[in-house]
Amino acid sequence: MKIKQITYIIGISALPFLGCKKELTTTPTTSVPESLIYGTADNIETVLNGTWSYMNDTYFTYANPGYSSILRTSDVMGDDIAIITNKYGYRDAYEYTLANNQTRLGAFWTILYRVINNTNNIISKIDASTGTAEKKAQIKGQAYALRANSYLNLVTYYQFNYQVNPQAKAVPVYTEPTGPTTEGKSKSTVEQVYQLIISDLTEAEKLLPVYQRPGTTKYKINIDVVNGLLARTYLNMGKWDLAAQHALEAKKNYPYMSEADYSNGFNDLKNSEWIWGHGQQPDQSTASYSFHFLDTSSPSAYYYSFMADPNFQKLFDSHDIRTKLFLWDGLPSREGYLRYQKFKFRADQTGDIVFMRASEMTLIAAEGYARNSDLPKAVEQLNSLRAARKADPFTLGSQTKDQVIAEILIERRKELWGEGFALSDILRTQTAVVRNPALGTDGKPLQVTVITPDGSSKVVSAKQHTTLKFPDGSAFKPNSSYYLFSVPQTELNNNPNINK
Amino acid sequence: MKTKLTILCFLFFFQFVNAQQDYKVTGRVVEKGTNLPLPGVNVLIKGSKAGTSTDQSGNFSITLNKEQEVLSFSFLGFTSQEVVAKAGSTVNIILGDVTNSLDEVVVVAYGTSKKRDITGAVSQINADQLQNRQVSNITKALQGLAPGIQAVSSSGQPGTSATLRIRGVGSINASAAPLYVVDGNPFSGDLSSINSSDIESVSILKDAASSALYGSRGANGVIIITTKAGKRNDQTEITANFSQGVSKRAVKDYEQVTTDEYFQNYWLAVKNKQKASNPTYTDLQAGQAASEQIITDLGINPYGSKYPLPVGPDGKLVAGATPLWDDNWGDAMEQTAIRTQADLSFSGGNEKSQYFISGGYLNDKGIALGSGYKRYSARVNLTTKAKKWLTAGLNISAANTLQDYPISEDSNTGNVVNYSRLVPSFYPVYERNPDGSYKTDANGNRVYDFGAYRPSSAIPRSNLAATVDLDKSEILKDNVSARTFLEATIIPELKFKTTYSADFANVNNHNYTNPVLGDGAETKGSVSKSNSRTYSWTWNNILTYEKTFNEDHHLNLLAGQEIYKYNYRIISGSRERFVLPGLYEPDAASQLNDFGGSALDYTLLSFLGRAEYDYKKKYLLSASLRTDGSSRFAPATRWGTFWSLGASWKLSEEDFLKDNSWLSTLTLRTSYGAQGNDNIGTYYAYEGLYTIQNNLGENGLVTSRLPTPDLKWETNLNFNLGLDFGILNDRISGTVEYFDRRSRDLLFSRPKAPSTGFGSIDANIGALKNTGIEVQINATPIRTADFRWNISLNATHYKNEITALPQEDIKTTTKIMRKGGSVYDFFLKEWAGVDPETGNPLWYKQDANGNKVTTNIYADAIQYVQDSALPDLTGGISNTFSYKEFELSALFAYSIGGKILDNDYLSLMHNGSSTGRTWSKEILNHWTPENKYTNVPRLTTDNLGWTQASTRFLYSATYARLKNLTLGYSLPKTLASKWGLNNLKLTLTGENLFTFYGHDGMDPEQTVDGTTYYRYPAMRTFSAGLSLTF
Repeated sequence: MKIKQITYIIGISALPFLGCKKELTTTPTTSVPESLIYGTADNIETVLNGTWSYMNDTYFTYANPGYSSILRTSDVMGDDIAIITNKYGYRDAYEYTLANNQTRLGAFWTILYRVINNTNNIISKIDASTGTAEKKAQIKGQAYALRANSYLNLVTYYQFNYQVNPQAKAVPVYTEPTGPTTEGKSKSTVEQVYQLIISDLTEAEKLLPVYQRPGTTKYKINIDVVNGLLARTYLNMGKWDLAAQHALEAKKNYPYMSEADYSNGFNDLKNSEWIWGHGQQPDQSTASYSFHFLDTSSPSAYYYSFMADPNFQKLFDSHDIRTKLFLWDGLPSREGYLRYQKFKFRADQTGDIVFMRASEMTLIAAEGYARNSDLPKAVEQLNSLRAARKADPFTLGSQTKDQVIAEILIERRKELWGEGFALSDILRTQTAVVRNPALGTDGKPLQVTVITPDGSSKVVSAKQHTTLKFPDGSAFKPNSSYYLFSVPQTELNNNPNINK
Repeated sequence: MKTKLTILCFLFFFQFVNAQQDYKVTGRVVEKGTNLPLPGVNVLIKGSKAGTSTDQSGNFSITLNKEQEVLSFSFLGFTSQEVVAKAGSTVNIILGDVTNSLDEVVVVAYGTSKKRDITGAVSQINADQLQNRQVSNITKALQGLAPGIQAVSSSGQPGTSATLRIRGVGSINASAAPLYVVDGNPFSGDLSSINSSDIESVSILKDAASSALYGSRGANGVIIITTKAGKRNDQTEITANFSQGVSKRAVKDYEQVTTDEYFQNYWLAVKNKQKASNPTYTDLQAGQAASEQIITDLGINPYGSKYPLPVGPDGKLVAGATPLWDDNWGDAMEQTAIRTQADLSFSGGNEKSQYFISGGYLNDKGIALGSGYKRYSARVNLTTKAKKWLTAGLNISAANTLQDYPISEDSNTGNVVNYSRLVPSFYPVYERNPDGSYKTDANGNRVYDFGAYRPSSAIPRSNLAATVDLDKSEILKDNVSARTFLEATIIPELKFKTTYSADFANVNNHNYTNPVLGDGAETKGSVSKSNSRTYSWTWNNILTYEKTFNEDHHLNLLAGQEIYKYNYRIISGSRERFVLPGLYEPDAASQLNDFGGSALDYTLLSFLGRAEYDYKKKYLLSASLRTDGSSRFAPATRWGTFWSLGASWKLSEEDFLKDNSWLSTLTLRTSYGAQGNDNIGTYYAYEGLYTIQNNLGENGLVTSRLPTPDLKWETNLNFNLGLDFGILNDRISGTVEYFDRRSRDLLFSRPKAPSTGFGSIDANIGALKNTGIEVQINATPIRTADFRWNISLNATHYKNEITALPQEDIKTTTKIMRKGGSVYDFFLKEWAGVDPETGNPLWYKQDANGNKVTTNIYADAIQYVQDSALPDLTGGISNTFSYKEFELSALFAYSIGGKILDNDYLSLMHNGSSTGRTWSKEILNHWTPENKYTNVPRLTTDNLGWTQASTRFLYSATYARLKNLTLGYSLPKTLASKWGLNNLKLTLTGENLFTFYGHDGMDPEQTVDGTTYYRYPAMRTFSAGLSLTF
């Protein structure tokens, strides 16, 4: 009796163990094994989507919310943004001590290279997948263009311009998917990186003409974006006619925005002249965190540190619709700062991020023509934009090529303020940063009248640039290594080949 | 069976009717070993109030109520005894010492054993060492109580756990935390849900022989928590405990400058900057400009409108100027923290069934505004002998906890602990009129000052003292744990036991930002809620065979199988924009921000066996073997095999020592074995994985993990050599142990060049070693009839060393891992002091010839390897003094050596660049042409960058803390029994009463790796308690 009962107990107890070996295989719910992905083109498209989402919506810190933080860093390293330096965020970049900020350097490097590895996977595996030729062409073309964008950023910010020395070592180049045994590579030359960018964009140009994207998905790369990237690439390389040609090609479907739209906060993909940007919505809003820095007028903006240099205001004529964005801040603790109220949060605390607009293409075309000495065409382009902004047109008269180019470059600063072009233009044009004290007509520090919240007006000192020299005390100069992003320490530590 | 019962009843009745006669019993009580008489021993007739005590010669005489009764003998510091006494007989009693810890029964893997009969390294902490502790989480009570264990309470927030490390840091990237076992099976619930009053013992298994049976996850030691059980004494014992206390900060925060000092020094910073920017300025001009500028910079004049420029152009306060207010934000951010604990338990049983039933209530308010912890707990532990051959048991516990947990460990400006280090006291908490009086609203109430005028560094538009109570940060947990078993005795030697245990935890997080005041005002508030459910179970089947052959050969065999499953699932969502204040749930907010959910699964399948043999209890041998399959690894590599061998030799039982008069115990133990660790942090560690990262309504995936098909278990090879000794009849006893733990196949995140698209790849590479020595000594220096002093001290020293790395070194921002170093070696730029000529900060760099020279450019300075964060020596000292009914006990915990990098301090140490930010008192020692030799640079509103990471802010981590001091008074037994009580005890307790530490302002208990992160400091709690047993 007893033995029998015990046998039952043992028997029943041992039962669950028989089927247990199978139980040892579990599956994750927040990730997907690689083996399930690359069979079909539809699945591969999810890698493209995820890569884009990763690139734009990953926090490294609150001051590094994805790809937008590269653009913001470029903004503050130029002439026209005088940030509030006791605010969290971009102070190190503004003061040219970015090299000390390993978190940010690591973020940039990681974002750009992780995108490269994902696109390498797509490019090398899409041909073997099942799916329509059309779909495959679209995905592959988009992946090529996205990879080119990463390399274009790398070659722009990690080494001086192509025209300085094409043989200078820039950054490592990877075109194959990384596996467990992949080693870090040594740096390729500037020329080699540009060759890859051109070749990728040329591939994309071949693959994407058929692809039509809905107007609400301007975060998807189409042929216009590819042309825009080609225009930027050729402008960097000094191939003026190709730059102008692709710029005009890129912008042809994107009419200038209206005056009303210009003051709507630069937060909407649907804006008529946006060619490429990143969409945001309440459940995907990491990139929107940039608006806490950019947005100086919404009460909900947390840092509002991207203030304008008072000298920047002087670049505009009084008819220009863009001047309406200026306001001397009268709020307590921020009195005397000059707001340029270009960027504003939407009501739901998000804001789309602009990457490429028709205006930029206009200015690339204008610059391309001008540098190619086709001054009338250059001025025609420049004035088409000025007209849209109701600014006084530029009269060519007897002005020289250099004067026209200078005017176009000023127009770039005015039109593209806060869109990520400040540092890349300084590197591209091999010029020095210009930051001057803001003085009144009497030659003394500028005094301005502000309106305080209770409606009274008050005269205060204008807040202005606080960093007028490099950290070592030397004056700003062209092609200074202070302008370049440093390779992060983690790469130097873990890639024995990096400087070979 | 029925007949037996009838006879029993009859006997009982028979005895009852004969109770009237006079039954005298006499006897003598002596001390075990010495045979000296013990005077004053309590002799009680069990079940009645009648009793007596022994005289100076240890003799007693007592009259029984009936012919045969049970006498109970008890004496302070000795183990009580109960004997059956017959009328007319002489009863001679030998009482043994309770502190004889070697006879203690300790809980070990899959069973219990006498401490002197184990071959492994085990320390046990008993209920009496825990009962007075004013902690809401058992892990916080362990520091200083046992050798080999390092308990670091990085947060003082009630309900949080301490980080435990047993015998050093055994893993680098995989978890280095021990395995917790509650009542026999691995515990995956919330440790703070366990009421420490329910705990009978905490056993710490430190070496291979003791923990290899938990082989799969025992690499970093095992902590076994055993809850109370009923006793087989036919009585129900009811225990009620109540304590009430109040908590404060254990250490004062960093001392800040006064308003006068702030204004004068900030004036100097501004003046210095004025002179630098305007070289033509005279001293007076610069001073005048500074006098004006400081008021606009700081945005407030606390000296009132009478003194529009309170600091004169000479830098001194204008005569008569005094601050009109001084609002200490530290006080504003603290609350009266009352701590209340009440427990009630019933325990009892008979030969067949035993039970323990308890209920507990704890309300532990934190010192930081808005923080607190409430727990309701209940437990039933039951064991019953269902049949002669079958025993069944069930332990079930349930706890509901509510933790108010505002941000208290972050650089976030909403951190309630750090806020007072950001906003100085001249910024008022409530709005003030220029004359210093309070502004009031229409109802005459004070109005919180959100300081829109404050400069950025002093957090404008914020007042945490106002918003913390309006916001919510709640963690509501429901925990249920069950342990159930069925044990069958097949033949007396052979037993089969099947155990099923389950831990369930439901955690509901509710975070709410109010739509009226503070951060949420512009966005109309926000709310996020998440609900997670964790369910894990273990089922094991164990066969044991125990037999003694030929009297001297004792054999114990164990074999079994076990399966562990863990499932975690979570959903979370957030919304913003509330229609109205006072509504806290997501339904009341109009904009959906996020919704998500995920799940995790983990399975372990194990087969285990153990053999123990001893000869005359003199030579003991043990061996164990366990194999585990883990779902974390690939099918081909998921099985790991772990083993141990142990031996012990009781030298004191040998003839050549047996007759030694002073040496009572001498045992040599050794063990060696391998234990495993699969806790790499991810649950799916073999395939290449892509994280789901959707994009604007479309599915998205992005690379997250490289495939590692060969990844396998980490193994810890653990050698232990121990010596147990007892001197003078074990009046002094102790243990000395040497250990050598070496990891093999370390689970390591091997760094990759980030340009490959991956920061690291998991691999079994690298090796780590922890070698050390630990000592525990217990002694009773004084022992008289009325007075007794017990002392127990323990010390552990270990050295952590990396013995192999895949590359020369692995650097993080402030640490370096390299061969020969420890896992937590600091790697920092070296501070070279302040330049006496310029007042600028200096660091060291290497010049062209490789010499160490100073530089004032931080970027040029280079990092040097510094000391480790790990201490050289840790341990504790406890003293217990008993005098008659009084008892005083004190526990000191100490940690000597190691370093802490204090980043918390930096925000108070700016050189004038963070306008309006608080200043530490140390700033007053800043450089001036008159004060050239100092460690604080000159003041200016430019950022000199001197607070960047360097050895300037690396402090010694050596400290000692009086963790607990308790004074207790027990009502004399005779008096207690008059009131129908078994025992009544009153206690006064202080937790964390004194801290001895060199760097004022910082709590020395931070993290094992020596970094601060604006954490909740430890609390000092004073409590009064009452404990009743009847």
